[in-house]
Amino acid sequence: MTLELSKLAGQVRAMGQQLATREREYANMIEQARQWLAQYADQGEPLRHPARESHAAIPTGERLDAEFPLPAIPERFTFIAADGVEVQPDSHEIAYYYLINVGCLVYRHGSDQTPEAYSQPIIGSTEDDIYDHDQLVAGNLLDIKRDLVEITTLAERCAAEPPDATTIAVVDGTLIMWTLKDTPQEYQREKVLAYIQQLDRIRNSGALVAAFISRPRRGEVTRLLHLASAGGTAKQASEVPNPLIHIPDYAVFEMLPPGARSALFASPSSINYDYYEEEGHTIHFFYLNVATEGSAPAIARVEVPAWVAKDADRLALVHGAIVAQARITGDYPYALVRADELAFISGPEREALEDMVITALVRAGVRTALSPKKYYKTLTRQGKRKFR
Amino acid sequence: MSENRLQVGRVLRAGVQGFVVGCELKQPDIPPFGSFVRANGITPGSAIYGLVYNVSLEDDLFARHFVGRDIDEGVIKDERENRQVPVEVSILAVGCAEGETLRQCLPPHPPVTLDWLYQCTDEEVRAFTARLDYFRLVLDARQTPVDELLAASIRTAAVARPEEEREMFLVGAGRELARLLAGDPLRLEGLLRRLQSA
Repeated sequence: MTLELSKLAGQVRAMGQQLATREREYANMIEQARQWLAQYADQGEPLRHPARESHAAIPTGERLDAEFPLPAIPERFTFIAADGVEVQPDSHEIAYYYLINVGCLVYRHGSDQTPEAYSQPIIGSTEDDIYDHDQLVAGNLLDIKRDLVEITTLAERCAAEPPDATTIAVVDGTLIMWTLKDTPQEYQREKVLAYIQQLDRIRNSGALVAAFISRPRRGEVTRLLHLASAGGTAKQASEVPNPLIHIPDYAVFEMLPPGARSALFASPSSINYDYYEEEGHTIHFFYLNVATEGSAPAIARVEVPAWVAKDADRLALVHGAIVAQARITGDYPYALVRADELAFISGPEREALEDMVITALVRAGVRTALSPKKYYKTLTRQGKRKFR
Repeated sequence: MSENRLQVGRVLRAGVQGFVVGCELKQPDIPPFGSFVRANGITPGSAIYGLVYNVSLEDDLFARHFVGRDIDEGVIKDERENRQVPVEVSILAVGCAEGETLRQCLPPHPPVTLDWLYQCTDEEVRAFTARLDYFRLVLDARQTPVDELLAASIRTAAVARPEEEREMFLVGAGRELARLLAGDPLRLEGLLRRLQSA
């Protein structure tokens, strides 16, 4: 063992104390944020424009401190969840390829049917797979590909459902392609439009779509509260330090009763307004306490496109369906847990895939070898030994 | 022999004395305790016969999470039919075959990993239990509930026969047991009592 835990003991102890101190400090700030939420609750309208300028949560018509209790949950509805994982390409490996595996579970509430489980692995190894607009598909660019496969999987499943508006398709994460923020505009446009095309397919199928993010670190509502407290203009807010800068929104909304959602906000992301808005998919979000009565709050951020957000019945269905799913496990949608399980690639599975790749290459007459770096890592990482 | 029969599962680990196969919970007929199964041997035309002595479900943390909760029917069906809950079936090797020649002894080789294990047909059970030399192998086994297994296998073999032949088979099995357990009358009595319900 090379990680000398004895040398970490002091640091870990100090970390524990720091976290405890920080929690006490944050508690005061969270209290401050909740006071501001109540104080500026009816200031949504005048804050809308400066909020977008300040990259803060954009208020909608609802009071900022609104709490919407759990709506009636329909007896029958279908909840489809998808989640994906990827194996990044590695130039030190035998072959340069990537793998995306998307898991999907279709759960029919109020029926006796067995949930339908799917997983679909995709290997990328051709020139067209590996290079996209002359950029190597790895890291964020592979994340984008995975997001597209996830939403396409959901769109396909939704298309196979009856168009009776009782199907809810949910991704784990976000509906906004944040990761494209720093990519060239042409590339960005192509990818976002491809994603939006799938959102269109879901809308046209009669299903609803949402994204579920457990315990998100975003601080868009706290930025809005700072903006309000600083006088309500982006300029004023930029001149005053934001005391809530490190407070994530979810901490503020831990006061939501079990099953209740917060007010709706629109995402201030530039991508949201550059692409999603003109196609009618402006992404909105709310915070939701999916915990049961008597349990610690479990706050999630739920994102929905405008055509769900602006329709009270659809919004209530998404709200109720997510809570119903989360209550199966306790505090997290069951179908998302299973979609992740279906997508997960274990170490032995990864090794089996590598063996298959080696076999395929040998059969095709290709000489294979790990890079020297990888080779020596395989020697040293098999199991460490110490002589002292 | 034709492989047009019920597949139980695939071999996970094996030795000449026995082996373990993995199968899915949704498998319509997980073979019961004491039933006869067959796996292909390493050489073409060879086979290994065994008795099911245990069926176990492996522990699963996610399933544990639901113990004590009010579980939705969908979760139960998902757990049983979709999730890869590994069911392990343990087999005691009791015989082997080379072509048409059946022998009731330990096989020369174990089956190979991921080979299919099949449930024996009634015809195969009758053919295999035409002799009862396998009783000794079962009585000598260490890892199994021996007497229960032997009694269950005798009952299985009796049921595989036409009704008019069952009694004669059971009497023959009883005689063989009496011969093998002559020095242990209490154990013999226990075994014979178990057979009376057949």
